[in-house]
Parts: sequence; C-alpha cells; structure tokens
Amino acid sequence: MLPLPRFDFADPTDLAELVRLAGEPGARLVSGGTDLLPSMKHRLFAPTRLVSTMRVPELRQVEPLPEGGLSLGAAVTLREVAAMPVVQRDYPALAKAARTVATPTIQAMGTIGGNVMLDTRCRYYNQPAGWRVALGGCLKCEGPVCHVAPKGKGCYAAHSADTVPVMMLLDVSVVFATAHGERHVPIRELYGVDGRTWLQVPGGSVLVRLEVPPPGAPIAYRKLRARGAIDYPQLLTAVQHIHDTWRCVVSAVGPAPLRLEATSPPELVEAAMAEVQPLTTHLASPAWRKKLVRVELARAMAELGIG
Amino acid sequence: MRQPEPVPSPIGAYARKIDGRERIAGRAQFVADLTVPRMAHAKFVRSPHPHARIVAIHLDAALALPGVFGACIGEELPKRYGVIPVAQDETALALGKVRYIGEPVVCIAAVDEETAHRACAAVRVDYEVLPPVLTIEDALDASKPVIHDYARKPSNVLRRVHQAYGNVDAGFAAAEVVIEEEYVYPGSTHAALESHAALAQVEPDGKLTLWSSTQNPHYVHRDVARVLGLREQDVRLIKPAVGAGYGGKCDPFCTDICSAYLARKLGRPVRIVLEREEVFYAHRGRHPTRLWLKMGFSAAGDITAIDFKAWADGGAYASYGVVTSYYLGVFMTLPYRVENYRFESHRLYTNKPPCGPKRGHGAIQPRFALEAHLDKAAARLGLDPAELRRRNCIEPNTETCNGLRVTSVGIRECIDAVVKASGYETRRGTLGPGRGLGLAASAYMCGALHPVYQNEMPHSAVQVKIDRSGEVVVSAGTADIGQGSNHMLAGLVAAELGLHPEDIRVIEGDTSLTPVDLGSYSSRVTFMAGNAALAGVRPLRAKIVEAVAAKLGCAPEEVRFGLAGHPERGDGPRVGTETSDVSWVDAVWLAEERFGPLIHAGGYTPPKIGSRFRRQSVGPSPAYSFTAQVAEVAVDEETGEVRVEKVWVAHDCGRVLNLAIVEGQIEGCVYMGVGEAVSEEQAYDKGLIRAPSLLEYKVPTIHECPEIVVFPVESHDPEGPLGAKEAGEGPQLSTVPAIANAIHDATGLWLNDPPFTPEKVLRALDRRRRSGGR
Repeated sequence: MLPLPRFDFADPTDLAELVRLAGEPGARLVSGGTDLLPSMKHRLFAPTRLVSTMRVPELRQVEPLPEGGLSLGAAVTLREVAAMPVVQRDYPALAKAARTVATPTIQAMGTIGGNVMLDTRCRYYNQPAGWRVALGGCLKCEGPVCHVAPKGKGCYAAHSADTVPVMMLLDVSVVFATAHGERHVPIRELYGVDGRTWLQVPGGSVLVRLEVPPPGAPIAYRKLRARGAIDYPQLLTAVQHIHDTWRCVVSAVGPAPLRLEATSPPELVEAAMAEVQPLTTHLASPAWRKKLVRVELARAMAELGIG
Repeated sequence: MRQPEPVPSPIGAYARKIDGRERIAGRAQFVADLTVPRMAHAKFVRSPHPHARIVAIHLDAALALPGVFGACIGEELPKRYGVIPVAQDETALALGKVRYIGEPVVCIAAVDEETAHRACAAVRVDYEVLPPVLTIEDALDASKPVIHDYARKPSNVLRRVHQAYGNVDAGFAAAEVVIEEEYVYPGSTHAALESHAALAQVEPDGKLTLWSSTQNPHYVHRDVARVLGLREQDVRLIKPAVGAGYGGKCDPFCTDICSAYLARKLGRPVRIVLEREEVFYAHRGRHPTRLWLKMGFSAAGDITAIDFKAWADGGAYASYGVVTSYYLGVFMTLPYRVENYRFESHRLYTNKPPCGPKRGHGAIQPRFALEAHLDKAAARLGLDPAELRRRNCIEPNTETCNGLRVTSVGIRECIDAVVKASGYETRRGTLGPGRGLGLAASAYMCGALHPVYQNEMPHSAVQVKIDRSGEVVVSAGTADIGQGSNHMLAGLVAAELGLHPEDIRVIEGDTSLTPVDLGSYSSRVTFMAGNAALAGVRPLRAKIVEAVAAKLGCAPEEVRFGLAGHPERGDGPRVGTETSDVSWVDAVWLAEERFGPLIHAGGYTPPKIGSRFRRQSVGPSPAYSFTAQVAEVAVDEETGEVRVEKVWVAHDCGRVLNLAIVEGQIEGCVYMGVGEAVSEEQAYDKGLIRAPSLLEYKVPTIHECPEIVVFPVESHDPEGPLGAKEAGEGPQLSTVPAIANAIHDATGLWLNDPPFTPEKVLRALDRRRRSGGR
C-alpha cells in the first residue's frame, strides 16, 4: 500500500484550541480525510500535524437560524446532511448533491465543510509522486509549468466540490473562526481564479458552519461523471429560476465555480457556452465536456419544468 | 452430524464454494496479511524515462537513512528470465537500460514501508535518455532504436507468425461479397483487487520459502530458483489466498525475485506489496492491437475465405508475447467452418509496461473484428445475423483447416438459447433510435496441448489421501485465485466418494507439499487438474469398494457410496448396499487394513493429437468451449453514453460441476467485457500511463454492470472430467462484439475501435449528422 508520510495528530474538543492548533506552522485541518489522506499519500503536501475538526461540538451542530434557514456545522458528514428531514424538505438539491459524492462509505466519512474546502483537482496533479517526476512536475505542486496550459502562467486545476454549486445558488454564508474572531464569507466569493490559491481565506481560518438562508425557488442539480459512483465530477450544473431571472452555476471546469444569470433560458445557455472553457484537467476531452454544458443545462432546466 | 438423507451428488448443484465463507468474512490470508518476525519491507525506485541508459546509481544517501537495511540493483540479478523459454528477456531490476516508465531500478528494504519509501526517494539515478519507441508504427520502423539491443538479431519485432491453410485466393475469387476493414483494439489491464505481493524467508536449514500472490506457482518457482542460482528443490513456493489474477499474475515479478534475493542478502525476511500505481506498471494486460481483416462470403452466407493480419503492441518485455502472436490467429477457424484461412501477426516491443495474458488472451481482439465483420456481411447479404452464424457453425468431432481437433461442440445450442431468450429475431431493428440488440459468438480453449517448456510429464497431478480418521485430503499444485479450483477438486472427489465437498480438505499451491500443476492459465485447470483428481481418487475408491464388498459378502458392483446414515446413531454417510452397510470411517479402516495406506496420485497428460501442421504447436487444446451472447444497449444520442442494459449469455462448458461457480465465472467475463467495451483503456502519453489508479482507470461499477442472464449449455465432452470444459475465459470473447453490434442496431454506426466512450460515440454521431445521416 502507498504509505502515508509521518505526521502528528491532534483532535481537540474545544473550538479555541482548534483555532490555535490550526494556526501553528505545518498544521493542516482534517475532517473525514477522504480527499486529504490520499493526497498526502501522493506527497502533494506533507503537513507535520493534522488537526481534526471532528470532536469540536460547534462543528458538529445543526440548528435553525433565528431569522429562518439552517446552520450546518462544518464537520457534519455528507451522509448526515443527505439524511436530514429538514434538508430533504427545504433543500432537496443539497441532499441530492451530497448523495452524489464518491460512494456511500466516503459520504459517511466526508463532511460538508470538507467538501466546501476541497482541494482543486487535475489529471496532472492528483497523481503519485513518482508519476509526477516522470511528468516533469506539476505547477500546483512542484513543477515549473502547467501541463494543462504550458504557455500560461496560472494553474487551472478544477473545482470539484459536488455540493458547492447548489450552495452558491442558495447564497450560503461560510463562517470561519480565526484568532481574531468570526468572519462571514459569502460562498460565491470564497473561490479564486488560480488553482493554487483557490480559497480566498487567510491561513489558519477554521470553517465552523455554513449558514443556509431560508429556502427559495427550486434548484435542479446535475453531476456528470464517468461512472454512476466513485468518480469526481466531469461537469456540475445547478440551475434556478427566480421571477424574471434564470441563474446557474457551472463547475468542475476551472478553479472556481462559474455563476451566471440571464433573463431567459436560451440566453443562460448561450452565456454559459460563451463563458465555460473546459481544459485538459480531466481525461474526458474539453470538446466533449463543452458540448455537454449545453446538454446538462438543458436537462437541468427540463427538470425544473422550464427551458 | 445426523445424516438422514443420502448424500446428494454435488455435481451440477448451485453450491457455496468450500472456501467462500473465509473470503467473505475477511479471514482468508493473503500475502499482505502474512508477517514473520524481523520482517523487512521493501519498495522500488522506478524509472521516470520510457527509454534510457543507466549511467550511475547513487545509493549512499538512501542507505544512510536510519531504518534502512539494504538494497539491490540489476547487476546483482543479471540472469534474464521469462516463462516462455525462447523469449527470456526480463530482469527483476533494470540492467544497464530502462525500457518503460515505471520499470524497477533499485529495491530497498527497510524497517517499514514509509522508511523504504523515503529511502527510495533519496536514491539518485543518472540516465542518458534515449529516443523512445512508443507505437506500432515506431516498432515496425527500422530506423528507430532497438529496445533489446543485446539480442543476436536486433529488432523490435519479438515474433512474426505467418500461416496459410487451403487456398485463400481461390476462396475470395469464389466469394459473392468481400469485406475488408481495419479495427483497433485498445490495451486494458486486469485490475485484480489484490496487488502483487511476495514474502521471502530463509528457513533455519538455509532453504528459502517464498509466499507469492501468483497464478502459476510452478513457473515462478522455476524462475526464482534459476535467477537466484539455487537448486529448485531448495526453494519452496507457497501460494496463499490470492485476490484474483485474470492473467495478471502469470509471470514471475520483481516482488518475487527481489524479496527472495534480499531475504538471503540481508539475512532477514522481506515482504513486498505493490502499490496500485505499481500494478499498472507490472501490467501484462491486453495488447493494444491493430487488426486488418478480409472475409469472403457466398451469396448464401457461407464463409469462403479469411485473410487476417494483426500487429500487437507488446510493451518492453516478451512476457507471454510469443504465445499471444499465435493466439491472435489460431482461434479464427472456430466456431465457423472455414477452409481457406491465412493469417500473419507481429508481436512488437515498445517502451511501455509489458503486455501479456489477460482473460481471453490474444483471442479477444480478433474475435471483436470477426464478429463485427459477420454483422456487416449479414447486412450486405440481407441475411439475419443469427442465421448467417448458424449456417456456418462447425459440427462436433471435426478438424478445422488449421488442424484443431474439435470434439464436443454446443455452439448451435448457445446461439439458439440467447436468440430465443432475447427475442433477437423479432426485436432487433425495432427498438427505435438509441436502443439496439447485438449478437456475437465465440470459441476458446481448455488448456494447451503443449507445456510452455518442452517435457513429456503430466500437466497436472493430484494426490488423494484418505486417512483412517475418515478425512480426505486432496493435494494439488493448482492455484485457486478466486475462480474456484479448490471447490472443483473437492466436488469431483466428493462425488466419487459419496461425501460433501466441505468434507474434503484441499491443500494447494505449495511446491513442497503438492504435486506439480502448470498453473491457472489458458483455461486449463478444470479440464486438466479435474481429470487428475478423478485419476487420483478412483483407484482408492476401487480399494474401498473391494474391502467393503468382502466385509459385507456382496459383489463389488453392488457397493454404493453416500448412503443415508442411521439417524439414531447420528453418523455420517455410509458405504454398502440396500440391505447392509458400514460407516464411511469403517469403510476406510477396512480398505486400509486390506491394502495399506490409502494414498494415490493421479495425473493428466493431454492426448497426443497429431496435427497435419508441424508449426501448429501453440493453440491446439484437448477441447474447446463455445459461447453466444446478445447484448441490449441504450445509446444517449445527446451525450454519446452507451449503457449496456442486459446481456443474455449461453456458454457450452461441457458439464456444469458447480452452477454457482459457472454462473459467477460467466458473469465475471461479461462484466470485464463491458468494461473493455465502454470505458477501460490502458493508455499512455509519451510513454507515461494516463490513469495509474482505480479512480481514473474506469472499471465498471455496479451501476454500469448490466443484468446478466446465463444459460449453461452441456455438450458433455468425451475427455473432460465428467464431461466438463472451461467457463472462466471463453465467455468474455463475444461480449465486446455483441455490444458493438448492438450499438449498430441502436444508431446505425459501425464502431471499429473500442472502448465506446461517450465522447467517441458522440463524435461519430456528430460526424454522421453533419454528413446528413439520421
């Protein structure tokens, strides 16, 4: 088996202690570990200490928000999210998205906060260390060039968090704890345009909870993947229709999910076709994935009864 | 235990495998479960280049790390090995040159895997990079560098085979329709769940014990001893539980040789368990193959001639490639009558991980081309594809034009069963756009007539020992890799003695305790080891019969086994007549008193079947299995996704020994075929494997697996054990072409290059839409 590198492990039960440990040099947060540990086995990074979020009560809490809506602790598992009656009733698209993550066993370990903080992915990045040596290194990890865009300067590793497109349409607020207090970030502002610096939060911030506003218009959610289980997304689409506005989020095509709005379904599709530029971050070809943007959006809108 | 009923014959029953429960419960011991005191863990430094000369290896930094015990490099193990004696070109660690990305260069043993891993990262190897040979075209290009440049006749062609039978040109001249096309079949790998692993230990007497995850204990035993310069008798090879092979564990591997060598060099046991990425480098999977096929047909649909060429991209080492070069062509004369046949194959070297035997070895690629060709011919001739196949089917007890002696043949029954069950004749062409049915048929072997190294000894031997305790111990050198050979042996012996299969203890795959069996390859085990088991038990059964008859004063032919026990005594099965009997244990006592120890070893040597063709030494088998299947697919014309929804598969396995195992093997074949048809491909970019993980190498999940309906067909082979033939490989041959033909029915597209991935199918659909098609 591919051995893990050596590291220390801490599992604090107190939020302040969690924030303190997370801020120490070489520390990295771990929740379910379903994405982090394989990446450590691949030597993508080598934290000296993993700090678990799983025993801190605030991160395991689920409660209604005072002004309506739902507060979801970051360390609530994807399986728990999908199984909650309140989520199934008020946010069915979120329940559906949680159920599309990998496999039931991984949903039982992986958390909703972990999914929000999921590392960007690329066919050249998520590979064993020796493979990357033969490749000549990957820009996100150790190399001088990006193999997706050798002439570019950026990293294009793709955002691959299955639950995030739905949460962007829900206008979820992401609450971090830092040494200087709480910080609220709208989820749509959380992600940046480079695959190396895709998270727009200072180091040492600890995701505590997700504040989901009261339910609004229905959301259709689709995940395109090679197989009916296990796989990361080839393309994610979430669509919502509110009054005169059609909104969508298209993801798994770049470091940040793309959020688009239009005043009619055809305009929304054309806007997406103009904006979305899949690259060779996946084994499936960019040309095919581009064609599928139109198909998936049309199918999502059909699920909503529009388009 | 009470035994109020006679023991039912296990033959044909749907029975739980005797060793199934331990696997389901996680109790079976695989190599990675074995630990011995002072054991070291070893890992490999691997080549980052597809083709390079090794200039220097710097081990100092690695050896200086705390916890590192030692290392070895290619120069310490220079003897080239390989299962096929005429093509021994491999060393466990690269010697002078690396020939593919991922080739092992150094092996380092340390206190644990993590330390060994760090030590490997600390090794520096200086390379002089050479231009790589990466494609079939490269390998045929004489101006490219030669990968095995030490050979006497330097070339990247490992083997060219050319054979011709009948008069091919006259056959084409007589044809009404001639179809000629190219096909490209992709490489794929086995993806067995257990990775390759070995544990070696020097015993107190100085002899070596090697536990290996292998399909072929005998061949690994021979090669490990030879490479290490040991006497074979001083090496004991044990095959513990193995988590499947599918052909991927037929060769000796770096794990076997390096663990054995380092155990001796370091004076401590060494275990090596490959990582998943490394299994993709060990490979031995399906050869990517370019195929050119030309067939002639009469107006009525009779095959008048076949002309066929194949170029197989074999990777950096020979493995079983010489055999592949023959298997590509030999089975094209089955199951359809053909008098005029010519074929030429090339097995080539390229700078990629070595290809080798994968389920349906060498026969999968040409079968795809041939069966797709038959549907094209049927369309051209206006015939029903099933009818075209039926009219060409060979009859039992025939000899093919290339000299294959064929005994039992159940191909018509197979075609009839799946055509009827699927409604093929009435539903095909009527399911509307995006949905279709496809038919294909095939034939495969039941073991090779000739061993891989020249000898006249039995191919299988099975020893049966019946103890005065009543225990029956069957010892065989076979390798159960999950396919059920242990149950097969137990079932046959139990049936002869009137016992339950669970009553038989099977000891297998231990070169010191069990007699030689050549191994789990070429679908040989049921046929050969099964016959050996019957030959082992029947003389003992005769002794028991004689002793019991003498005791009871009856005629020997009156003696029956497996009679009901007496409920009031609560004993087990009994031996005797309707009127008087003795317990099983008493029967054994009587026989041992009369004849001495009840131990007998039976062997199986294939019949000497003379061929008209001297060169036809690879391909002939004592018997052939036959398969037909119909696939129903749905094609999403917007996304290109192909869903295989249902497969009806009929397989002539001669005789069903255990229905559960037969069904399981056939289902496994179809499942693997579905993967090769829609999603699996071992592909490379500049020699670097694209998907070295089970995340990105797309074996089907349960979501992609169709409903599979199995129809066993029993043709009762005259030489098979109780009439049985193979069921573990043949059924895969016709899966991919059945799916391709179904895609044609659904879309009108002929796709000649699996896997039929969504993007490939959508591209073909778009091309047709642009050219004004439907």
